[in-house]
Amino acid sequence: MLYISHLTKFYGSFPAVQDLNLHIPEGDLFGFVGPNGAGKTTTIRIVCGLLRASQGSVRIAGTQAGAGSREMKRLIGYVPDFFGVYDNLKVREYMEMYGSMYGMYPREIAKLTGDLLELVNLADKKDVYVDTLSRGMKQRLCVARALLHNPKLLVLDEPNSGLDPRARVEMKELLKNLHSMGKTILISSHILSELSQMCSSIGIMNGGRLVTAGKIEDILQQAAGGVQIHIQVVSGMEQAVRLMKEQAAVVVESVRENELIILHRGTDQELCRLIGDLIANQVVLTGFHREEGDLETLFLQLTGGAQ
Amino acid sequence: MKIRWNPIVKKDLKVAVRSMRLSWGLFGYEAVLAVTFLLAVQIIQSQNGVFAPVTRNLYSYLVYLFPVIAVVQVCIVGVYMPVITASSISGEKERQTFDIMLTTCMSPFSIVFGKVMSAVLRILFFVAASLPIMALSFVVGGLSWRNLFYFLAALILFSVFAGSVGILSSALCRKSVSAVLLAFGIYLVIFGGTFVPWMGRMIIDSDKMGESLLPLLFNPILFFEEFFAHMMMGESLFGTQGYRFSVRETGLVTHLLSRDSVWMFVSGGCILALSFLFMGIAAYKVNPLHAGAGRSGKKQGRNA
Repeated sequence: MLYISHLTKFYGSFPAVQDLNLHIPEGDLFGFVGPNGAGKTTTIRIVCGLLRASQGSVRIAGTQAGAGSREMKRLIGYVPDFFGVYDNLKVREYMEMYGSMYGMYPREIAKLTGDLLELVNLADKKDVYVDTLSRGMKQRLCVARALLHNPKLLVLDEPNSGLDPRARVEMKELLKNLHSMGKTILISSHILSELSQMCSSIGIMNGGRLVTAGKIEDILQQAAGGVQIHIQVVSGMEQAVRLMKEQAAVVVESVRENELIILHRGTDQELCRLIGDLIANQVVLTGFHREEGDLETLFLQLTGGAQ
Repeated sequence: MKIRWNPIVKKDLKVAVRSMRLSWGLFGYEAVLAVTFLLAVQIIQSQNGVFAPVTRNLYSYLVYLFPVIAVVQVCIVGVYMPVITASSISGEKERQTFDIMLTTCMSPFSIVFGKVMSAVLRILFFVAASLPIMALSFVVGGLSWRNLFYFLAALILFSVFAGSVGILSSALCRKSVSAVLLAFGIYLVIFGGTFVPWMGRMIIDSDKMGESLLPLLFNPILFFEEFFAHMMMGESLFGTQGYRFSVRETGLVTHLLSRDSVWMFVSGGCILALSFLFMGIAAYKVNPLHAGAGRSGKKQGRNA
C-alpha cells in the first residue's frame, strides 16, 4: 500500500528525515513511534503531500506522491495532531463542506455522513455546532471527515494528544474497528504503550532515521536475539538442560529450582518439537510460557533513552 | 447541469451570515453612506448661488450626489476587502484548518479564488443593501439605471482587485495583522508607485512624456477617475475631443489609449489581469509542493 523509498528531508542544513525506507502492506495498522523531533510528523506531512521531500519517493497504491494530484489526494485521509474548527458551522455542514472539497455530490455526502457519524459515535450530534464539541469528539469527527471520501490510507498524526483517558480509549477502539474493517492506517505517537496495544506493526524513528520497523513480536525477537521461554520443570531438570544445550537454536539463559529459562531462535514448530522431545525424554513439565517482550525497554535502548 | 459552488465560498458565506460581525458591518456601511448622503445634500444646498447663479436649478447639482456616494463606497470597499481577505488564509493557518484543506482535492488556486470570491460576495451584500441610498441619488440626480449597472460592474472589478491584494498578503504572511499591513503596503506601491515613472519624466521633460503613463493602466485611482469622468461628463482625463495626446508627445501606445473610453476599458482589463496574477502568486505560495517550499523551515525543523 505505502512504499517509502530513500526519503530524505532537510530543513536548511538540518536533516529532519534521513534515508527512510518503509513498506506498509494493505490492511495494516502501522504505528510510527519516536521521541519528539524524531521526524515522524515530517514523514507524515511528506506522505500527505503537505511537504516536499528533499530526496526519495513515496508511492501510495502505485501512485507517486509529491505531485499534489487529485488522484493522490483521494487515496489519503489525513488527521493532523492539532486542528481547529469553524465557528458557526454544524457537524453536518462540516462534513458537507469537506465532502464537496473532494468533489462528492450532496446526496452521497448526506448518506455517508450518517454512516460515518454512526461509526464515530457522533450520530446524535449531527446538528450541533462543531465548536461546542469536546476535544475527543472533535478528534473523532476529524476521523469521520478523513474517511468521507473512502481513502485507501488513513494517516493520523498524534491523534491522542490532548485527549483525556476516556477519549483515548474511544479513539483506540475506533481505530481498532477501522483496522478490522480492512483500512490501512498509519498512526504516529511518541507514547509507545498506546501504539503497542493496537498496532500490528511499528516503526521506531530516532534522529530522523528509522531505527527498526516490522511486526511488534518480530522486532522484539530480533532485538532480544530470540524468544525467551520459561519452562516449569518438576523433575528431570538435568536431563532437560542437557537436551537444550544440544540444540543449536537454543541458548540456556538460567536454571532455577523448578524453572528453566531458554532463548529460542527457531520457529514455533521447532519450539513445539523441542517441548515434545523434553516430554519424550522423561522430563516432567507443569507448563511453559513465552515471555512477552518489553517494548518500552527496547524503545529506550534504540532511541538512547528518549521518549 | 447543476452549477457547483466553490465549497470555500459556500462555507465562508454560511459562517459569515451567522456571525454578528456581518450585521454590524452592514450597519456601519449603511450609516457611513447615509451620513455622506445627508452631508452632500446639505453642502449642495448651502453652496447654491455661490458657484453658480441662483437661477440655475438646484436639482441639477444633485447629480453630483452619485459620484460622492459612489466614491465613498469605493473607498470603503478598498479598505474593507484587504482586511477580510488578508486574514483569510493566515486565519486558516492560525486556526490550523489550512493543512486539512490542502489535503483535499481542491487546488491551491481554487482555495485562493474561493477566498476572494467569498469576500466579493460579502461586499455585494453591502452594495445591495446600499441600493436604496444609491437610488435616492438617482431619483434626484437624474442618472440612468444603466449607470448604476456600470458602477456595480466597476465596483466588483475593484473588489476582486482589492481582494487579490489581500489574499496575496495573506499567503505571504503567517499572522493576520502583518498580512493586513502588507496589503496596505502593496496598495501604496500600486496607487502611488505607478505615478513615479510619469512624474520622473515630467521633471526631466514635461513636453515628452513618452510611454510613462502606461503603468497607470494598473492604477485603480485613474481607472475610477476615467470611469466617473465618462459617466458624469462624457469626458476623460485625456480630453473630450478624442486624441488629446499626440504621438510626439507620448508615444504610439498612449496615444491610441487616450482615445475616448479606450483607456478605461484597457485599464479595467489590466487591473483584472493583475488581480489574477496576484491570486496566481498567492496560490503558488500556499502550495506546499512548489519548488521553494520548506527551504527555510528552521522552525518546522525543530518540531520534526
